Amino acid sequence: MKIKDFSRALAEFWTEFRKSASGLIGLGILVVSLLVVIFEPIILPWRDANTKWRNIDYWIDNSAGAPPAWTNLFAKEKKAVTTRLESPGRVESDMEGGGKLVTLTFPYSFTADRAPLDLIFRATINGDVPVTVNVDRPDGTSIELASHFEQGLSNQGIRVTVNNEAKDSTFAFVKQFLSDETLSSMSSGTLEPANIVFSRADAAMAGKFAALKGDYKLVVKAMVFDTANSSIADPFFVVSGSASGILGTDDMKRDVFSGLLAGLKWALLIGIMTSAISVIVGVLYGITSAYFGGVVDSVMQFIYQVVSSMPLLPVLIVVSAIFKPSIWFIVMVMVLFFWTGSVMTVRSMALQLKEETYIEAAKALGSNNRRIIFRHMLPILIPYSFASMALSVPSAIVYESTVSLLGLGDATIVTWGQILHDAMAGGAVLNGVWWWIIPPGLLIAVMGMTFAFLGFAMDKILHPKLQTR
Amino acid sequence: MDSILKVENLKMFYHTSKGAVRAIDDISFELKAGETLGLVGESGCGKTSMGTSILRMPTAPGRYESGRIYIDGQDVIPMPEKDVRKSIRWEKIAMVFQGAMNCLTPVYTIGRQMLETLHEHREMDDKQAVELISEYLQLVGLPSEVMGRYPHELSGGMKQRVVIATALFLKPKIVILDEPTTALDVIVQAQIINLLKKLKSTFDLSFIFITHDLALEAEVADRLCVMYAGKIAEIGPNSSIYGARGALHPYTEKLLQATPLLHKKVDNLSFIPGTPPDLIDPPKGCRFNPRCHKVMDKCRTDEPPLIEIEAGHQVACWRCTK
Amino acid sequence: MSEIKGDEILLRVEKIKKHFMPHLTLAQSLAAGGKKRVVKAVDGISFDIKRGEIFGLIGESGSGKTTMGKLVMKLITPTEGRMFFEGEDVTFLEKMASKTYRTKVQMIFQDPYASMNPRFKIRDVLTEPLIIHKIKGSRDERDAMIAKALIEVKMTPPAEYMARYPHMLSGGQRQRVATARTLILNPKMLVADEPVSMIDLSTRAEILHMMKEVQRDMNLTYLYITHDLSTARYFTDRIAVMYLGRIVEMGKADDIIDNPLHPYTRALIDAVPEPQTGKVDIVKELPISGEIPSPANIPVGCRFHTRCPYAKPECSSLPEPELEDVGGGHLHACRRYKEI
Repeated sequence: MKIKDFSRALAEFWTEFRKSASGLIGLGILVVSLLVVIFEPIILPWRDANTKWRNIDYWIDNSAGAPPAWTNLFAKEKKAVTTRLESPGRVESDMEGGGKLVTLTFPYSFTADRAPLDLIFRATINGDVPVTVNVDRPDGTSIELASHFEQGLSNQGIRVTVNNEAKDSTFAFVKQFLSDETLSSMSSGTLEPANIVFSRADAAMAGKFAALKGDYKLVVKAMVFDTANSSIADPFFVVSGSASGILGTDDMKRDVFSGLLAGLKWALLIGIMTSAISVIVGVLYGITSAYFGGVVDSVMQFIYQVVSSMPLLPVLIVVSAIFKPSIWFIVMVMVLFFWTGSVMTVRSMALQLKEETYIEAAKALGSNNRRIIFRHMLPILIPYSFASMALSVPSAIVYESTVSLLGLGDATIVTWGQILHDAMAGGAVLNGVWWWIIPPGLLIAVMGMTFAFLGFAMDKILHPKLQTR
Repeated sequence: MDSILKVENLKMFYHTSKGAVRAIDDISFELKAGETLGLVGESGCGKTSMGTSILRMPTAPGRYESGRIYIDGQDVIPMPEKDVRKSIRWEKIAMVFQGAMNCLTPVYTIGRQMLETLHEHREMDDKQAVELISEYLQLVGLPSEVMGRYPHELSGGMKQRVVIATALFLKPKIVILDEPTTALDVIVQAQIINLLKKLKSTFDLSFIFITHDLALEAEVADRLCVMYAGKIAEIGPNSSIYGARGALHPYTEKLLQATPLLHKKVDNLSFIPGTPPDLIDPPKGCRFNPRCHKVMDKCRTDEPPLIEIEAGHQVACWRCTK
Repeated sequence: MSEIKGDEILLRVEKIKKHFMPHLTLAQSLAAGGKKRVVKAVDGISFDIKRGEIFGLIGESGSGKTTMGKLVMKLITPTEGRMFFEGEDVTFLEKMASKTYRTKVQMIFQDPYASMNPRFKIRDVLTEPLIIHKIKGSRDERDAMIAKALIEVKMTPPAEYMARYPHMLSGGQRQRVATARTLILNPKMLVADEPVSMIDLSTRAEILHMMKEVQRDMNLTYLYITHDLSTARYFTDRIAVMYLGRIVEMGKADDIIDNPLHPYTRALIDAVPEPQTGKVDIVKELPISGEIPSPANIPVGCRFHTRCPYAKPECSSLPEPELEDVGGGHLHACRRYKEI
């Protein structure tokens, strides 16, 4: 076909397509999805979610199973939201006896009703730099929370968590306000330091948490004795709240939203690749089988029956155990089994089509088999093919997740199926961690719907007879 | 003769998304007891709609707009569906649908299908029912062992006989036959026509015989009703339309001229140019005017009324009013 | 309007047979005891069609007339017999030769709507033969050829119809398009299988008229297959009446209808209704009863004897009568034609 003819056909197609509302919705979702995939590096909140999804250390500062931040809007008691405090006020002053004292001030405005779960200070340190972490509270008091010193670091990260390292200091702070009687039943081990830091300082401190709202200052003092060889860089605080991000975190402290975003491209890839390749193979197989009939049909049907009666899962397990499963490999194996899905329907449709008078008319005109198959039979099956593709997109995604469930998924990527699987395994349903299970499920459904909408809209256009109704 | 069916100013439109299709637009006629009324016209002129309307089951999205249908003196349009089913449809009036012989269920035997129809309407034990079925099969010229056969084992003519027998089960007085012989070969067609004539006198039936074949109509219809675009163009006795008087309406005239004659060699058959009009927006004036070879100015603006030219011969044409 | 037909024989069919072997399951073939029920759709047919002639093949359903049409069209290959086109043996053809044959012999089907791909616009329908036979040309050149063919079948203005789909046309217009499609390749012969049986009576004559004009304009030869004697008389020059895969009578259309010799032809003629008054109360005397037997179980002897009102024992005991010429090209296959 010439380019001019093709563009004309495309224009005609578009005029018709525009009339279908559901088709436009489907197309809209698909376009948005593709845009998201393209701009993923910019949108992704956790930049390394793609590569470090299974790296526990990468997610360690998050709190586990935290609901989305926006749930505060509906909650009576507002939860502190996980925040990263960066670019502190930095003051350097000379110390007696040489060296520099670097004072880093991180302002933090606390407005929630529940205290954060932890305060974590991180920085990259070279050489010997002891640090102390203090907090200046809005009521004028201040607590020297922790001091941390690791020797002989060479551009290595340090991590100071208030929960682990400030138990004694916060206990000391609490002591000022409590009676001996109360104190006798307490020890530093049972205290939750983050709660103390953000609590009102009074006699009721050991009881129920009462928030002291206002502007806090987290002050870190670093002593750089040997300015030539020691330094502190990239300091930041993580306020690990009990609410986090757009879609919360899972049991492994991972940001669900980042995971879903990273999984989108794989969902599209797995779904479209698997269904497109297998439907194309299946449709051609079905037509060929029906059109030629006789021995060809018998042999092809035999092969079809053998393949379709082979269970996919055991084969996948065996093959995945032998080979290292990559996503391409999984797609390939799925195609090897999925193509059978459309064969029977296509064959029966083609058997009917074969008897149509216009096929006979085409033969009478001298048309060869290839032209009859590709020009007369295939176009009639395209709407069915799209419906079939739309149907196998979700099943391909689900199958991939089933493979993940068996530990045979591609461990180098994150997919919706894997997230869903983790959620199931982590008891998300029982624990009411809905933000871990609804979004991936919903996305799989929306993806399926998108393709179904597109399929139906195309069906209408490619079936001119339906237009008249 | 008494009229057994009387249709008065009947209007039945199909309400589609594009507008109302005026399939039956102000039609009145009557059917006398023992008479065969032939209903002719091109496809899409409302013949079949007329049949289903009389049966009080217009195909969706069809709705009665106005008018009355008296069957045995009873107006059936306002009757509740339950009563129609109980005392009118199949009881007093039956229909042999076009292509009904191809709609027999392929997986059941003829006997079982007939039995089911019978059980739906009559309380009787299987033995009685089987006897009745075999009696009716013999009436239509089939051996009773046909009961044990499947539809694909029967020829077209035999299937049509089965369908006719089924329609007669409940002893209706009126039978509407919609193209009962169209798919059949000439010899089988003649056999079926003979059968229908025989049945008519045996059971004292009245027929409405729908077909597009004017030659066939000449052999069965006592009176002929020519429909065009949802209206009656002409209605008159067989003897006048096929006889010396000839057709009065240009449409009937043309239809007759377009019918090839076996025993007369003609060089050129005439035909009607164009196609029947869109019934959502029919032409102004006489609906036939765009295709009429005798059109006058008046035909384009005013709709001709159906007027009686001779006793029992009515026509809707301005040429005939003068 | 009997024109002078050339005597050149365009198509010669010699003792052609087409037997179908039904596909049996193992159980069925065991039950049949190894004997297969052969369906003898066409069982030894010979005829000649002259150039410029309209030859009618008349028969009931099950007579094998459509199979005969497909044999001529080479959509199926014969079991026995030979076929010559323009003097050349075309019974079995190589792939290329068969493609060339198809440019010469074309077919019009009974249902014009079914014979066109419903997804194709009229332009695509008509372009198809050009693509198949690699007739080169730009879009405009091809459009010009299509327009010419559409004008030939009186579809004017052609541009208006080219962009439409088949379902947007009336039955008559569709059959015109189907005819135009066959004309694009400038064929020598058209096989028309019941071309007007699905078309409204009011336009039937118009289509037949158009087909006749096209035939005259392009000097075509028609093989007109139908069950309808009335249109056959109007349309054809010669008629062959088929019964159960055999020709029982053949001759000039007028001779056959005005002076039928074979009892089957007589029965066919008697059964045709005529638009004349005074027949309503008469139950037509039909000379034959019953229906056409199955082509899988053809009666021995004269194959019509089971239904023939004049049958005598010899009709079933003696071998099948061959076609016999009574003069003037009027042939029949009845032993007792003189007596009846």
